[in-house]
Amino acid sequence: MRAEASLADLLAAVAADDRSALRTLYQQQATRLFGVANAILRDREAAADAMQDAFLRISQRAGQFDAERGEASAWLGGIVRHAALDLARKRGREMPTDDPTLGDTAVAAEALDRVAADAEGRRLRDCLGALDEKNRKGILLAFVHGLSHAQVATRLDLPLGTVKAWIRRGLLQLRECLA
Amino acid sequence: MIPTDPQERDMLAGEYVLGTLDARAAAEVAAALPQDAALRAAVALWEARLAPLARLALPEAPPPDLWSRIEAALPGAGQGLPRRAAPFERRGSGSARRVSLWRGWALGASALAAGLAGFIVLRPAEPPRLMTVLLTQRDQPAWVVEADRSGALRLASINPQPVEANRVMQLWALPQGATAPTSLGLVPEGGRMTVTPSAIRAAPGMLIEITLEPPGGSPIGRPTGPVLFIGRLSAAGSS
Repeated sequence: MRAEASLADLLAAVAADDRSALRTLYQQQATRLFGVANAILRDREAAADAMQDAFLRISQRAGQFDAERGEASAWLGGIVRHAALDLARKRGREMPTDDPTLGDTAVAAEALDRVAADAEGRRLRDCLGALDEKNRKGILLAFVHGLSHAQVATRLDLPLGTVKAWIRRGLLQLRECLA
Repeated sequence: MIPTDPQERDMLAGEYVLGTLDARAAAEVAAALPQDAALRAAVALWEARLAPLARLALPEAPPPDLWSRIEAALPGAGQGLPRRAAPFERRGSGSARRVSLWRGWALGASALAAGLAGFIVLRPAEPPRLMTVLLTQRDQPAWVVEADRSGALRLASINPQPVEANRVMQLWALPQGATAPTSLGLVPEGGRMTVTPSAIRAAPGMLIEITLEPPGGSPIGRPTGPVLFIGRLSAAGSS
């Protein structure tokens, strides 16, 4: 809790153009956030580029962070994920996806226990557990590894036409379950 | 096109957060967000719902030079000059102000020596108006900062730790809405100081931070070193 409070305080200082606060934020969060970017890009060079984009965005948008609407770590994670996804899209998502084991860790049953580190995580784990296996795997592969619909279809051996609908249905169920 | 049907819009927000939109659709959502408050709220909700999934990405140390790359890419990098006047110099005669600040610390130190050492716990008669406890990274209380009704800010170390060689600690205040932190001076050995800033007024929500700086303090009038401690003033007894 205190770590979160201090992240939010650091973001407030970053909003006032406090470069030291940005560096401290980086020092506290870089290992976690680089992991988030690298899971999507699977290329350390590209992940470093995404982190650079993300920290520019963080320095510009810190004033938009609203502690009422979520935790600072989630806000930072969202910015890094979108920077990584933008880069992945720019590259036509041409990262290696022929690795048959890609995402095995993320979709393994025990991995969901890592999601459940706090109350929100436990609710999400339980709601994910209630989804059909393919809906759940599709959502995890998309979120953690940035897979497109086509890549999810290949990975899960599903027809492309149905993947989009499956993932939508999964999101809808999650929203209702978490409400 | 961003749909108008609420259900469709919410699904679009969810897919945007999930990352499955193609480049064009994602760019459309990103471009619509600044003007579309409802879409922004929907995206924020999805970010909050799915955020715990980020724990599935394995933490990994970035390349060691990444921060210097980021710093070089930030706006204003490489100029080596402050973009705003240093707080000490703001009022013209910098050295005079510096002297008066030093005198302020000396007064503060002697006042503390005269028996204020237990002011937090032992003398609740006139409770401090605003205060914050700055914690270490391990959540141990390290400093108490309090502002009294006269506007004076007092800093006291709870658990003094040595500073690394050739570095000093500098105290800063950042009022809410301010565009830059204001230096409150260097933290003296022993970790106790009192300062009455003229340019800012303590208020709830004001950030207090201590950074690590070169000898003599930040040369550019704004923090240059890592933030060692940070906290927000709030009404004493409210937390």
